[in-house]
Amino acid sequence: MVSAIFIIAAGLGAGFLIGLLREEQKGAAFAVALAALGFMAWVSVSWFIALASGTAQAHDIITAGTQPPFAINLRMGLAEAGLLSVITLTGLASLIYMAPALHALGRRAFAVLVILVMALSGLVLTRDIFNLFVFFELIVIATGGLVLLSDDKRAVAAGFKYLVVSQIVGILLLIGIIFTYHAGGSLNIDDIAAQPMAFTGAGLALFLLLIALIVELKPFPANGWALDIYESAHPGFSALFSAASATAALYAADKLFAAAGPDWLPLATVLGLVSFLGANLLGLAQRNDRRLLGYSSIGQIGLVLVVVGQRDILGDAYLYVAGGILFTHAVAKAGLYWISGLVPGRDLADWAVLRANPVLLFAFAAFIAMLLGLPPFAGFYAKWDLAHALTGADRLPVLGLVLLGALIEAGYLFRWFGFALKRPNPVAFPGFSTTGFAVVLVALAGGWGLGFAWGAGSVHGNLLLAAPLIFALAFLLLEPLPAWAKNILAIAGLLGWVALRAPEYDPLHLVFALVMLAGGAVILLASFTAKGERLGFYPSAMVMYAGLALLIDAQTSFQFFAAWELLTIGSYFLILRGRESEPHALSYILFSLGGAFAILAGFALASGGLQPFALENLAAIAEAGLPVAPWVFVLLALGFLTKTASVGFHIWLPGAHAEAETDVSPMVSGILLKAGLFGLWILLMHMGAQRLWGVDLTYLLVWIGALSAFLGAVLAIFQEDAKRLLAYSSISQMGYALFGLALMNHLGWLLALMFVINHYVYKSMLFLAVGGVYHRTGTKLMYKMGGLITLMPFTFVSVLVGIIAMSGVPPLSGFGGRWVFYNAIMSSEMRLPVVLIFMSGPIAFLYLFRLIHTIFLGQPKDEHRKLREAPFWLLVPQMIFVAFLIGFAVLPGMVLRKVDAYIGGHFGDEALAWSGRTITSQFGYWNPVAIMLVIGAIFVIVLALLLMMNRNAQKVKQFNIVFSAERPFKPQTTHFAWNFFAPYRKALGFLEAPHVTRFWGGITDSLHATADFTRRIYTGNGQTYAAQVLVFVVAVYLVVLGGVS
Amino acid sequence: MHLVAMAAGFALILLGLYGALTHRNILRMIVGFTLANTGVHVVLVSVGYMPGRAAPILDGAVPVGEAAARIIDPVPQALVLTAIVIGLGITALMLAYAYRLFRARGSLDIADYTELKW
Amino acid sequence: MSFEWIQLAYAALTVFIVINYGLIMTAVVQKIGARVGGRYGIPVWQNYIDLVKNIALRSKISHGVMFYLGPVFRLTGGIGLLLFVPTIYGSVMHQNFAFAGDLILALYFVFFGTLGMALGAGESGHPHAAIGVSRGLAQVTAAELPLALAVFAISLQYQTLSITEIVAAQQGGIFNWTLFTNPIATLAAMFALVGTMMRAPFDVVVAPQEIPIGPPTEYHSAYLALMQTNRVLFPVAKTVIYMNLFFGGASNWAEFAVKVFAIYMVSVLVGVVHPRFRVEQSIRFFLKWGLPVGILAILVV
Repeated sequence: MVSAIFIIAAGLGAGFLIGLLREEQKGAAFAVALAALGFMAWVSVSWFIALASGTAQAHDIITAGTQPPFAINLRMGLAEAGLLSVITLTGLASLIYMAPALHALGRRAFAVLVILVMALSGLVLTRDIFNLFVFFELIVIATGGLVLLSDDKRAVAAGFKYLVVSQIVGILLLIGIIFTYHAGGSLNIDDIAAQPMAFTGAGLALFLLLIALIVELKPFPANGWALDIYESAHPGFSALFSAASATAALYAADKLFAAAGPDWLPLATVLGLVSFLGANLLGLAQRNDRRLLGYSSIGQIGLVLVVVGQRDILGDAYLYVAGGILFTHAVAKAGLYWISGLVPGRDLADWAVLRANPVLLFAFAAFIAMLLGLPPFAGFYAKWDLAHALTGADRLPVLGLVLLGALIEAGYLFRWFGFALKRPNPVAFPGFSTTGFAVVLVALAGGWGLGFAWGAGSVHGNLLLAAPLIFALAFLLLEPLPAWAKNILAIAGLLGWVALRAPEYDPLHLVFALVMLAGGAVILLASFTAKGERLGFYPSAMVMYAGLALLIDAQTSFQFFAAWELLTIGSYFLILRGRESEPHALSYILFSLGGAFAILAGFALASGGLQPFALENLAAIAEAGLPVAPWVFVLLALGFLTKTASVGFHIWLPGAHAEAETDVSPMVSGILLKAGLFGLWILLMHMGAQRLWGVDLTYLLVWIGALSAFLGAVLAIFQEDAKRLLAYSSISQMGYALFGLALMNHLGWLLALMFVINHYVYKSMLFLAVGGVYHRTGTKLMYKMGGLITLMPFTFVSVLVGIIAMSGVPPLSGFGGRWVFYNAIMSSEMRLPVVLIFMSGPIAFLYLFRLIHTIFLGQPKDEHRKLREAPFWLLVPQMIFVAFLIGFAVLPGMVLRKVDAYIGGHFGDEALAWSGRTITSQFGYWNPVAIMLVIGAIFVIVLALLLMMNRNAQKVKQFNIVFSAERPFKPQTTHFAWNFFAPYRKALGFLEAPHVTRFWGGITDSLHATADFTRRIYTGNGQTYAAQVLVFVVAVYLVVLGGVS
Repeated sequence: MHLVAMAAGFALILLGLYGALTHRNILRMIVGFTLANTGVHVVLVSVGYMPGRAAPILDGAVPVGEAAARIIDPVPQALVLTAIVIGLGITALMLAYAYRLFRARGSLDIADYTELKW
Repeated sequence: MSFEWIQLAYAALTVFIVINYGLIMTAVVQKIGARVGGRYGIPVWQNYIDLVKNIALRSKISHGVMFYLGPVFRLTGGIGLLLFVPTIYGSVMHQNFAFAGDLILALYFVFFGTLGMALGAGESGHPHAAIGVSRGLAQVTAAELPLALAVFAISLQYQTLSITEIVAAQQGGIFNWTLFTNPIATLAAMFALVGTMMRAPFDVVVAPQEIPIGPPTEYHSAYLALMQTNRVLFPVAKTVIYMNLFFGGASNWAEFAVKVFAIYMVSVLVGVVHPRFRVEQSIRFFLKWGLPVGILAILVV
């Protein structure tokens, strides 16, 4: 094993060696720098591997043959090795990435870069505070040199501002060092005695040291100088500045916090939180990509500072958590800066050029996921453990603020991704530099590698080894295949998985597995319509299905949450594929992540910080009657309600479902919404009814369900867009299901289950049918269509069957749901919410009739006369659904009977008796076969009568109608379709007022306004920045002083 | 004596910072920081000073055996030397920047370089 | 309850009786209305004449399959509704097919004919038909609400959804009728009765003056005959439900005839003295008056 001192030695040596070269020997300078950085990286990585695998021990390197504190010592431990690996590898990659710019600046630039990396390494290794200062100043000088690399003329001013602030930091640091030395008689960090946070002598000295190092971390709001550097410097350097400099400085701060003792940790926590929230908030108002990344960097470093503040409670997990966030951030941020160097424009929307290269686009998405701590990346495991540690130590406000900051960050990062995917490509694009591209790929691989490593180190098992996820990710490699081939694989995979797992599921899980996975396979049949490769579709869809598969399998809260996040991400990318879906996908992911964070907090609260936490243990909490139980319930329920788009959280749904692609709409509507129900089911099954402040929370859920059912239906009838109509109808239908679940009785749950099945079938069918119509007519606006019945008869049949089933009219399967509903409410004490449900039933007729009438009946338009039936593969799943609906209507027992028994096992009752074909409840009875036969027989008889009398009826042409003394001649004036329910609008239009949209819009608008207003503190003037730093230091001092006394 | 030095050092620091923050001319700012740095150096030295002791030079006057009791702390002095060197480096870099800024824009007013903001 | 083939014949008999009763009763109601207005009015067999005339009509056209099926759906809805409910309490012959389902089946089957009819009318391509459907559906959402609540109230009251059991519980004296045991629910239900009988003030759906007869605009010949049959059958079938739920049911055809006529007359009486509501007015009316009564009914039960 090569001693770590050689990292410093190699850096210094290479620096001097390059200095000795002649000016024109730039190639040699590059070679020397490459060799030096390569060597440094090799030493670091080999140490890291050795330490991580336990084949080497952490050790101290003594210099000058003298023991510390009389000489400087360096320490190489696991943390140091990891950080050094990140720093040196980033340095190496940036060297390669920046080589042309460095060449232009001359051979000394290579030396400066090597010195920078050496100094950063030194900062990590050294255990001597004065040495720390020296390395710090070296970093300042090297940074000052490298900022000049940029093409951006403004970088010079930015560098100067940086130097000004560095002067102040240097002064603080030196004074802190000397007084620390004065107090302790040693410059060695290990000799610094833990100090109480009191401001006498040693305490003040320590404060100065810590605050100097914190200022170096660019804390909000004393960080304008750093943002200017991020914005104007060469992106290769910004990558270093963010990934390596910030990482090293953070470790320096960490070393001193460790020495200063637990009293000082709240300082780190509070300043970290302020930075994390402040920087992310201000990021909202950014349009410049590099400055935005700067904000994000500052925020993320703030987050790690928060973690530093929790080192007292994290214990052994400290390195795992801090490292997970820090390393992931370093890799992702470096990667993003490197990509930014490949993008010619500086506006966020200019990233649309990435569409020219799907790999880069994928890298962009992956980096964003890494930054946000989404699975399967390392940050995800870290975030999970952090949340549990925080709740375990009762630091809930910290958790809340961290999650809030993360949500805001998600807001601007996903908005940006939306721009990249959806905005018009602004320039004729010259193509990406190959080396730059390669460097980005290295970062990408690094991020995945970290994810794998952290997964391997997790007690919960490695997500990247979960079969469904591997299967989904494999589609990334299969992307060059044609869509049909991938589709066959996807269908086979889904069906295979269900077949494999089905024997182990109880009936409830089985139904969900069948709906979500087997059902997904049926919908995928429609995807055979797609031509070409259909890039991006299969990885996204299969990640969603993998999430769903894992969700059903989940035994512990971790597995559940990881699956939840996976399906959220997958579905987000899926929804984003729609032509107009950019804003809707964003609002979807924000609501979903907000909900996911609520779920995370809920699980963390439930576990009390102890992991792993089995889902069944929720029951134990409920039984023990712990005071947290209702809060756990509230948080989890909130999370699930965002997914079922219950009223209040519903505004994302109409756009997201309506603008999605034809075969995506049924996936996200028919299948994805059920994930929320599944979660609620797990919650209610284990926790039962909880009371908070004397209110039964299930009663609240019943109301929410009823309101959703009612308002969803009312809003649906006023839609002109067919897919929006269906989307609002989903809100309503999920409301019914929620209502049933929250009734907390046997039949209520059976009702919910029938909705799970029925809604999947008819909503998928209707979305496919409407999608087929859209495919042919090119419009989703119903009033632009009409009379398509003869042109698209199969589609008509599926819509007809779908609306009969959905409206609950006998004899189709929707009626069974209604029958169970009545029996359920009769066994319940809830009365008033029922009124809303009663009202939404008939209202459903309105929008359903409108759907079928305005599209298929009435007057066909001239431009549609030559339309053909929808594509074959769109019809196949629809016909399967039609057959199923009729079968399920006649023989509901084939599905329901087992589930009924299972639910009975839970409630300990037997609500339904299944004798022969009759289903009997305590109150009534229902014989689906008899209903079907009676209705069928009457229908046939009456039809026969009519045929007998009118068999020779003559088919007439379109306008051959009795009219009020007019002769209609064009369909536009004759087809009654637009604003179909005008009287209804007159009577109940006030219900349409977008209060909820205004509420959420108000929140986001005020956040944006605050961000835009607050960021004006960064005036751009170096003196202001310097003054801000001083004011910041004094203010923190005063606040801390106030806190102490 | 050393308290006077320390007070003077802090006074210099404050003076220097005041100057750097109030003068918009870049060169004057640099001078301010130099002043402040000098103050820091004085503080450093004054911290290591112990009344009634000799300079930390081991020769005939101060035998090695008694050194610990008779000389002042040499470490701050060593630190100060390093700090002065580093300060020089930074000052040089700042001056170089000032030169480039002036070349680019013909102005040494820090308020003229605010294109990067918000 | 099990099925025997003879029930088919019994059911056919029920349908036959009710159709004839309906043909005559509606004509009688017309006649009464005319006499009150000082006119002579139609003969009581007028409906038979119309029926025969329509069937015998020689020009027959079709606008398409759904158009053709519309009246079939409509009449199937009427007959089905009648047959899913026991007509005569205690009579083996007139239990019909009540074994197929309970009250909920009847409530939801009401919409079967409406929906099919609306679809058929839609395919005719006539805007007046679509306008009529739009009005009708809009109105019915509010008008049916009090009934739904009343039904919920009385099924809670009797703790059953079986119509036969509800009727059984009302036997043994007039004061056992729901009308007296639960007047609020009955009142709520009567709002719905008046609202859905296609009579003034809630008849804007077929709007006899402004637009030629709403959804059935394009229907003629045997189509119209089927719909006419339904128009006499369906109100009776619906009234039978009211009779069973609120007025003690009927244990023989005479009682049936009297009660159905009396209940039907409620809507007639309201209709002849009130002008027509616009759709939004009737929606507001039901929400303002019918809904509170319905809510009261489910709260006090």
